[in-house]
Formats: sequence, C-alpha cells, structure tokens
Amino acid sequence: MGGMIPKPSFLDAQFVTSAVVLLVVMNLLLVMAGVAIYLERKLSAYIQDRVGPNRVGFDLGLPLLQKLFGGFGFWGLGQSLADGIKMLLKEDYTPRGVDTVLFRLAPGIVVIPALLGFAVIPWGGEFDFPRLSVPVLGWTIEAARVEVVGAAINIGVIYLLATASLSIYGIALGSWASNNKYSFLGGLRASSQMLAYEIPMGLCFLSVLLVVGSLVPRDIVAYQHQHGWLILSQPLTAVLLFVCVLAECNRAPFDNAECEQELVGGYHTEYSSMRFGLFFLAEYAHMATSSAMWAVLFLGGTSLVPFANLPLVSPDDAGILAVLAKFSVLFGKMFLLVCFMIVIRWSLPRLRFDQVMQAGWQGMIPVTLLILVTNALVVFAGLATLPVLLLSNLAVAGVAAGVQPLLPKRPANHKIRLAGSRFSPLDHESVLVTTRAQGVAVIDDPRRTSALSAH
Amino acid sequence: MLSIPPTLAATDVASYLPVLLLITIVVGFAATNLIASALLGPSRQGDIKAMTYESGMNPVGTARKRFNVRFYLIAMVFLVFDIEIIFLYPWAVTFRNLDPSLSDATVWLGRILFFILTTVVAYIYGYRKGVFRFD
Repeated sequence: MGGMIPKPSFLDAQFVTSAVVLLVVMNLLLVMAGVAIYLERKLSAYIQDRVGPNRVGFDLGLPLLQKLFGGFGFWGLGQSLADGIKMLLKEDYTPRGVDTVLFRLAPGIVVIPALLGFAVIPWGGEFDFPRLSVPVLGWTIEAARVEVVGAAINIGVIYLLATASLSIYGIALGSWASNNKYSFLGGLRASSQMLAYEIPMGLCFLSVLLVVGSLVPRDIVAYQHQHGWLILSQPLTAVLLFVCVLAECNRAPFDNAECEQELVGGYHTEYSSMRFGLFFLAEYAHMATSSAMWAVLFLGGTSLVPFANLPLVSPDDAGILAVLAKFSVLFGKMFLLVCFMIVIRWSLPRLRFDQVMQAGWQGMIPVTLLILVTNALVVFAGLATLPVLLLSNLAVAGVAAGVQPLLPKRPANHKIRLAGSRFSPLDHESVLVTTRAQGVAVIDDPRRTSALSAH
Repeated sequence: MLSIPPTLAATDVASYLPVLLLITIVVGFAATNLIASALLGPSRQGDIKAMTYESGMNPVGTARKRFNVRFYLIAMVFLVFDIEIIFLYPWAVTFRNLDPSLSDATVWLGRILFFILTTVVAYIYGYRKGVFRFD
C-alpha cells in the first residue's frame, strides 16, 4: 500500500493520545471556566441570601430556539455564554497615553501560560492504545501502552511551575502599559505577591518530591496508590500549598491586586471587551489547573479512596472505561476544589497587602523550609512511612505554633485615638458598648447614648 | 552511589512535541480572540473617553514614575531564593535512592544541609536588614 507521504516519525500512539487529550481537556477547561464563573455567582448569591443568575438560557434571543426550549431558563446556565458573546461584541478600547503594543499583547501573554499548564496533569492513568490504520495515507500506528496525559514529559512538575510563573509577565506588562496609577499599583502588588508565594510553593513541591522521589505526576499518583494519599501523611504541607495556590491565582483572601475598594479593578482597570475577558479566563484557568495539580499531589490524583485500589481506578487498568473513570475522578476532585476556592472567596475577608507579604516572607518560607529539612531527615533515616511523615509534619506545625508567640512583635497597627469616637469618648460622654451577652445591638452612638442616659 | 531514575536518564525530545502543539493551539486561541474582539466591536473615539480612568478625576501626570524601592528588593531576594530552590530539585528527586548504610551517606546529607544553611543565612541577613518588613 504505502501512501505517497511517508509517516512522520513522531506520529506514534503516545502522540495521538496526547493530541486527543490536549484538545479535549483544553475545551473542557474553557467550558469549565464558564461554569466556574456561573458557580461563583451562584454560590456567592446563596452565601449572601440572593438568587443569583437564573434567567439566561441558551435561546440567544432567537424566536425559533425560544419556541424549541419553551421558555425554559436552564437555571441561568447560559449566563456565561451570553457574557462571552457580549465581551466579543463590546468595544475594544485603547485609551490615550498607553503603550499600545504592550497594552494589546498583555492579555495574550497572560492567557497563554495559564492554558499551557494542564498538559502534564495525568488525567487518565494509562491506556492500551489499539493498532490503528489511517485510511487514505496508508499509515499504521502500532499498538502500545500510553499515558493519558497532555505531554508525557519527564520534567513533569517543573514544567507546571515554569508555565505558572510566566503569567507574572503579562500582568506586569499590562499594568505598566495602561499608564494608570491604579493599574500600576495593582500590577506591582500582583507581581510582588506572586514572587513572594512562589518560594514557599516551590519548597512545598520539594517536600513532596523528596518523599515520592519523582518529578513525574504519574509516579506521584502511583506512590499514593501504594502508600495512601499524601494529604494524610503531609497535612501541613497540603494546607500551606493550598494557601500558596490561592495567592498565586490572585484569589481571595489574597486578591489585593484587584481589590475594588482600593484599586478599582487593579491591573485590568483600563481593559475592556475580550481583552478583559482573557484576563478573567486566565484567572479561572489558573484555578482549575492548580486545583488539579493539588489533587494530584495530595488527593491521590486518579484514585478514589485513600488506601484501596478499586477495580476501575487502579493503576493497572488500562481500558477505555478505566480511563474515563479515572478522568471523572480527577475532574471531580478538581471541580470540588474550585468550588472550595469560591466558598473561601465569599466567606473570608481580604487580607491587607502588608499582612499578605509578611505572612509570605516571614511565615510561609521558614515553615516550609523546616518541613523540607524534616522530610529530608526522615527520608534519610529510611523512615518515610505514613505515620512517621504525619508525626514529623505535625511536629513542624507544633514548633511553628510554639515559636510564633516568642518572636519579637512590632507595633503594626497603630490605633490612633479619635476624640469623641466610641473607643475614646469625650469626658462628659458615657458610652454603652454592646457585649456578646446582650445578644442584640445596643445603640453605641455616644451622643444618643448620653441623651438616653440623661433620661 | 546514587542511581539515577530511568525517567531522568533518557530525555526524548519527541516527547515535547505535544507541548509545541499546545503552544500553537493556545497562541492561536489568544490571537483569534484578540483580533475578533477588535474587529467585531464598535469603535468610537472621544477626547474625554480617551482619558485613563482615575475615579472620575482628571489624571494628574503620568503613572510611570518612581515607586517604592521595596518592590525592587523583593525581586532581588526572590532571585536568590528561587535559584536556591531550582538547585534543590535534582537533589529532591534522587535523595530517596541514597543508601544510608554507605560510608559517605552522611556526607551527602551534610552537604545538602549546608546548602540549605546558606539559604537560611541569606534569609536571616535579609530579615535583619528589614527586607521582609512591610509595615
């Protein structure tokens, strides 16, 4: 047979699988970003006792589709789609005084690394690729056992860290190019915060890699299949890494780079239409990728329960059903973690910028360094089993909690006395302060209180 | 001595082709979105509209002026720590394979602990200099 064009040498079973996984996961991530935005609005609405988006369906305002769906609203699921279309159709405005080239490039520079990271995440374990022949060209792809992963590269985790940290460039450039003071401050904050939390993130990764002994996510998952999930043996590392992930994604409570009350929109103040949309998309893509990575590192990746190998999701199963099951398990974990991030955003108040930086430099780095050293010693002693690792991790937590009050304290928050306030009332005023025991708020306005007490 | 895991020993350049494919897709996605948005949207100019948004005030001066030196310090300190961490990756991956019964196993451990100690010294120096203070 032998077609006209010889088969390119790289076209093997692994490459075909990788390409399919990349296309599928890429699209899923983009849809997932839309769903996450919808979820964010819906969950925040429930937390604040509202209803949230519940009207926009998929009829796009077309009479035919309206008739087809019978006015059904799909619980507002079409909201993100409508927003996306709206963003494309809005004006793409470039204000005066901006650095035009950088201003236009920056959204792209932000979104590209955000969508690159997921390639190394082991979505479905291994797969027995069948022998395949391409009809017209006469090529055959030999059967092989392949990894269901975007790119089966052996630097694994380092690739993810490298791509994740690239998005600082886009934010810094976009904020600088905007020629807006709010944007500029937001960009400075974003980049310094991402730099600060990248170090403890790297140290957390190192502590895990020490125990596992491999950079490849597949091996990390295999280790957890064998020895139990790493969140059980490394709970402190897991929590610290999750905090770092929140800070790296600029998510609340670390969203100082775009806090509305101080900086309007932060680094994307001057951006409109799809340029803003890409910034937005990048944030949610980061959330999804880092949640998936966190699930791979600490929640056993594709394994469903900590210590048992269930039939369909055990590492040895390589059928198409097993791949789908594993994919659903990991995707479900990622989805729950994204929901958790959303709930965190709507339940915790935002930290002040100096608190964020201080927590990063003075808190996270020493503790993660200590974890690294203890893990190294435990591994060196050949005791890297679950109970010992758990004990050493808890010991680090205990030491950190014990040392913290001994550290010298600086006067951080000066409370400036304001004459006539409820805390520093004037001499002739008496102030009723509500206590917890009273249950209801008592009027604590000094003037009205003094008027009340005069009666 | 240290045995290198087979995953690190052989790097197949062809395994990076999917990354190239992904970069192509993603760059295409970003470019398409930016270009489509520029083409599809309306375009209206205006003198007031072209002002940068500073809460409705007329912008005073440019935004590109000098800023707090602390941000430079952060960038420099970050370089120090990040490079230390990058050097630690090969160690972290191979350390598990070190046999503690070897005569110079403790030397290997001591070397890496010394390397981490240099980080600690740098950290203490920065701490004393007030690099990590943000109040």
